[in-house]
Amino acid sequence: MNNTVLQTKGLCKTYIVNKHQNNVLKNVDLTIGEGEMVAVMGPSGSGKSTLLYCVSGMDRVTAGEVLFNGKETAKLGDKELARIRLDEMGFIFQQMYMMKNLSVLDNIIFPAVKSKKNSESRRQTEERGRALMRRLGIDDVCGNDINEVSGGQLQRACICRSMINNPKMIFADEPTGALNRASSDEVMNELLTLNRDGTTIMCVTHDSKVAAKCSRVLYIVDGRIVGEKEMGHFGGSDKELRDRERELNNWLMEQGW
Amino acid sequence: MFWRILKKDLKRKKTMNIILLLFVILCSMFAAAAVNNIIAVTGGIEHYFDAADVPDVSVRMINSRENDLGEKIGELACVKEIRTEHWLCVSSSKYFRHNGKELDNFTNAAYLLSDSEMAVNYFDENNHIIESVDKGCFYASAPFLQDIDIKEGDEVELDVGNRHLTLKFMGRFKGALFSTENSNPPYLIMNSADYDYLSTDEAAHIMNCGQFCVNTSEVDEIRELVKNYGGAYVNTREESKSIYLYDMLSAYVLMIISIVLMFTAFVVLRFTIGFTVSEEFREIGVMKAVGIGNGSIRSLYIVKYLAIAVVGTLIGYFCSVPLGDMMLKTVSENIVLSSESGILMGLLSSAAVVILILLFCYGCTRRVNKLSPIDAVRNGQTGERFQKKSLLHLGRSKLPQAVFLSVNDVLSSPRQFSIMIVVFALCILLMTIMSNFALTLKSEKILRFFDVPSSEAHIMDSEILREVMVDQSTHKQTITDTEKLLADNGMPGKCTMTISEQLEASHGDKTAKIIFHAMKGETNDTLYVDKGSAPQKTDEIAVTVSTLDDLDAEIGDRVTAVINEKKYEFIITGTYSSFISHAAFLYEDFNLGHLPAHDVMGLQIHFDGSPDRAQINKNIEKLKSLFDTDKVYSTSDFIKNFTGMSDTLNAIKQMMMIITVIVTALIVILMERSFIFKEKSEIALMKAVGIDNGSIILQHSLRLVTVSVIACIVTSAVLMPISNVMMNWVGNMVGDISGLKCDFDPLEIFVICPAILIGTTVIGSFLTALYTKTIKASDTASIE
Repeated sequence: MNNTVLQTKGLCKTYIVNKHQNNVLKNVDLTIGEGEMVAVMGPSGSGKSTLLYCVSGMDRVTAGEVLFNGKETAKLGDKELARIRLDEMGFIFQQMYMMKNLSVLDNIIFPAVKSKKNSESRRQTEERGRALMRRLGIDDVCGNDINEVSGGQLQRACICRSMINNPKMIFADEPTGALNRASSDEVMNELLTLNRDGTTIMCVTHDSKVAAKCSRVLYIVDGRIVGEKEMGHFGGSDKELRDRERELNNWLMEQGW
Repeated sequence: MFWRILKKDLKRKKTMNIILLLFVILCSMFAAAAVNNIIAVTGGIEHYFDAADVPDVSVRMINSRENDLGEKIGELACVKEIRTEHWLCVSSSKYFRHNGKELDNFTNAAYLLSDSEMAVNYFDENNHIIESVDKGCFYASAPFLQDIDIKEGDEVELDVGNRHLTLKFMGRFKGALFSTENSNPPYLIMNSADYDYLSTDEAAHIMNCGQFCVNTSEVDEIRELVKNYGGAYVNTREESKSIYLYDMLSAYVLMIISIVLMFTAFVVLRFTIGFTVSEEFREIGVMKAVGIGNGSIRSLYIVKYLAIAVVGTLIGYFCSVPLGDMMLKTVSENIVLSSESGILMGLLSSAAVVILILLFCYGCTRRVNKLSPIDAVRNGQTGERFQKKSLLHLGRSKLPQAVFLSVNDVLSSPRQFSIMIVVFALCILLMTIMSNFALTLKSEKILRFFDVPSSEAHIMDSEILREVMVDQSTHKQTITDTEKLLADNGMPGKCTMTISEQLEASHGDKTAKIIFHAMKGETNDTLYVDKGSAPQKTDEIAVTVSTLDDLDAEIGDRVTAVINEKKYEFIITGTYSSFISHAAFLYEDFNLGHLPAHDVMGLQIHFDGSPDRAQINKNIEKLKSLFDTDKVYSTSDFIKNFTGMSDTLNAIKQMMMIITVIVTALIVILMERSFIFKEKSEIALMKAVGIDNGSIILQHSLRLVTVSVIACIVTSAVLMPISNVMMNWVGNMVGDISGLKCDFDPLEIFVICPAILIGTTVIGSFLTALYTKTIKASDTASIE
């Protein structure tokens, strides 16, 4: 395995709802190396999204360790965690959350404007944002409001936003969940390109076709990783995808999918 | 089923529902207090006059005991009833002693009234009719109580000639026909035995006065009769109401404040309802999608708002009682206000609030009809706006990120934020206008409206002016003697006196009761006229615009007046402004003969050689010892003495400052809380992408601070024009004034008042924005 980007040891997350303890994550041990594209799958309510939020520092863990780039994020304060999320991580959500009062381009460059590691001028940042949009084929909607673009375009804009600070790792929570097949394929292709360029990706998904494009698949049930499948890097051909999907589906069946 | 949905909704959207409830409480509280205020103010004097049994006509005259006017009035066939009061006169405040010290707190003579001769109902501080006064006790009207620390039970010594009495103070009384302004004479009600004891001394009868309260159907007959008696003045019931002008002005100012507060609460409430309904579009979409009809959906929300409105208005109504009392306090000190209709009107206005809320709700839910299920679902889901694009661009802006976001938010939702700007601007305008009014009414620039020339010292002692009051022709001697005294004591100067006579003037078939002024003595000032020119000959007069209207005359017309039984014709040469609206100015050489003066505005002194303020103050002190009186005033004190309203306005300004802080804080807290609720997804997203709490709090605080700064800028731009227009409007109500420019204190209106608003906004928004800390980045997953 390449250099480790993310590692968890005995990760636990518990929610107390109406005085009832709900152990969502139970002793999760996980290691993700640089350049990997890891899919997290599992039934609804198994703890996939919670795992993503805990490892990305968006939520606090109840017990255990989370090491991101060698730093134990569980012990960091809110401010330092926010800085890491801003400078070293990128996020893509199922819903295309955006700031409603900003144009698409402004939404994309917003994290870069805030980032202290970014020493370029606003003009240069804007130009970089446009370049990213061009790369993802949505440069024609730069100045549009967020209600003036399609779901697929909006999700690609979210990818641009997640990339704007050149993160070490991108966390995606069902990035294609709200998209049709064509848009879903486009978004996944962009993520694959990013991954090939060296960005580590952790992606929560229900879709075996999405997971089949990942290099490794984790299967989580009831807060525990119960299965792990090495898939190797996806080459890109349709045939390979079909084979990988078939293989993955068989494996998932074995896991009780 | 609907009931279950409603119950669930009330529980689930607790925050927004509580915010809504708070706004409803505010709204009904201000509405009930304002309506009560309006009713008490508009019908207040009529009710007071009824309670006091004020007659159709009151006739006042000097030396009422020594003539037969009372009998003659009684003999008129049109007179149904006549009640008489004879007042003894105490010519100066110095004849009263409190705690061993002579009083110097009022300038006019004081009048004593017997409890066996009360022609109208007088009220104590608790609004109970005073039936009698115990021997050795007295009640006093408001002007007696200015600037002294006297409490109920305190003893006051009184010397009238050779008679001495020690009287116990029983409290302040309200007399419907006695002005409460400090520039007017104080009245004392005492036991008849004490009164009779004092009246046995002749000194009590110098300048004694009386009042005949007449109920009649023919006012003109009374006027015709009174014409033949010098020093007698007729006031109808309607005319007597003018003595409450300042009270009514204060009351109207408070009424305007109430209306502004009510308006504020309704505007914010309307916004909040629209806001909460739009938050529910997703649910509406779901209901539409499963086939529930528009009417049913709307009724669900209307029932919800009805429940909130009923609870809110009930609480608001109970809160309005102390608020209304507080706002009417300044008015109820002088007037017996009706409290009968208060409860009913308060309840009715609360009911009106419920209906209005339901109408707002009905209006807001109208969009439900137009939306398709998909529209509603999409709108509810993403919170997208369907307006024009954002005006600013982050890439091209030099503003720091948090500042950019806050300014961009304000510009992107102009309607929402302009409502807040209007509300804030109104609050700050009320504060600053009060400040300007209070300052202007104290300013020396308004001296000319008192019909006196530029002068540095004003002798107001009624004893010194007494001779002129009885026979105005003695002014020459008074002026000469005073000028000699000034020269002999090393402070040479010129003296003037403005003497007034109330006479009837005619033009064509129009007649009007006019106060004629004549300025006697030497002055370099010429009368300041707004139009035309000042009178230059004895047959010329300048008049106020109201006089022109009364007589239906114009500049250049001739009016006639009978003075000393001789008919005079005057040409109107111009118009001037004065606090006395129905007035005319005669040329200084016009001879008024030996008429008793209706009024004398003191003795004005203009020192030679333009001394500085320190020298003027020294001269004033010297004059006090020379005349053995404390009633020698500088110009600013002279004005202050006549414009007691300035202090009232200052009090209202301070009250307005407190109200502004409370209202601003409430609006800021509730609106910010609403914004946080509405923008939960954005806040979570910002946190997810790595924006720290500090930046989010700064953005949220700055947004509201931007609004308050804009409100301050808008207010600063419009304040002076609005102040001038309103000041002249008020000036026209109190007198006949035009072209008056307001004074202002730049520190107060451009620094302190805005600082109060901005400071409250900063603190309120910052503390509320701290709540954003509770929203976690991971909440992006649980946002609907």
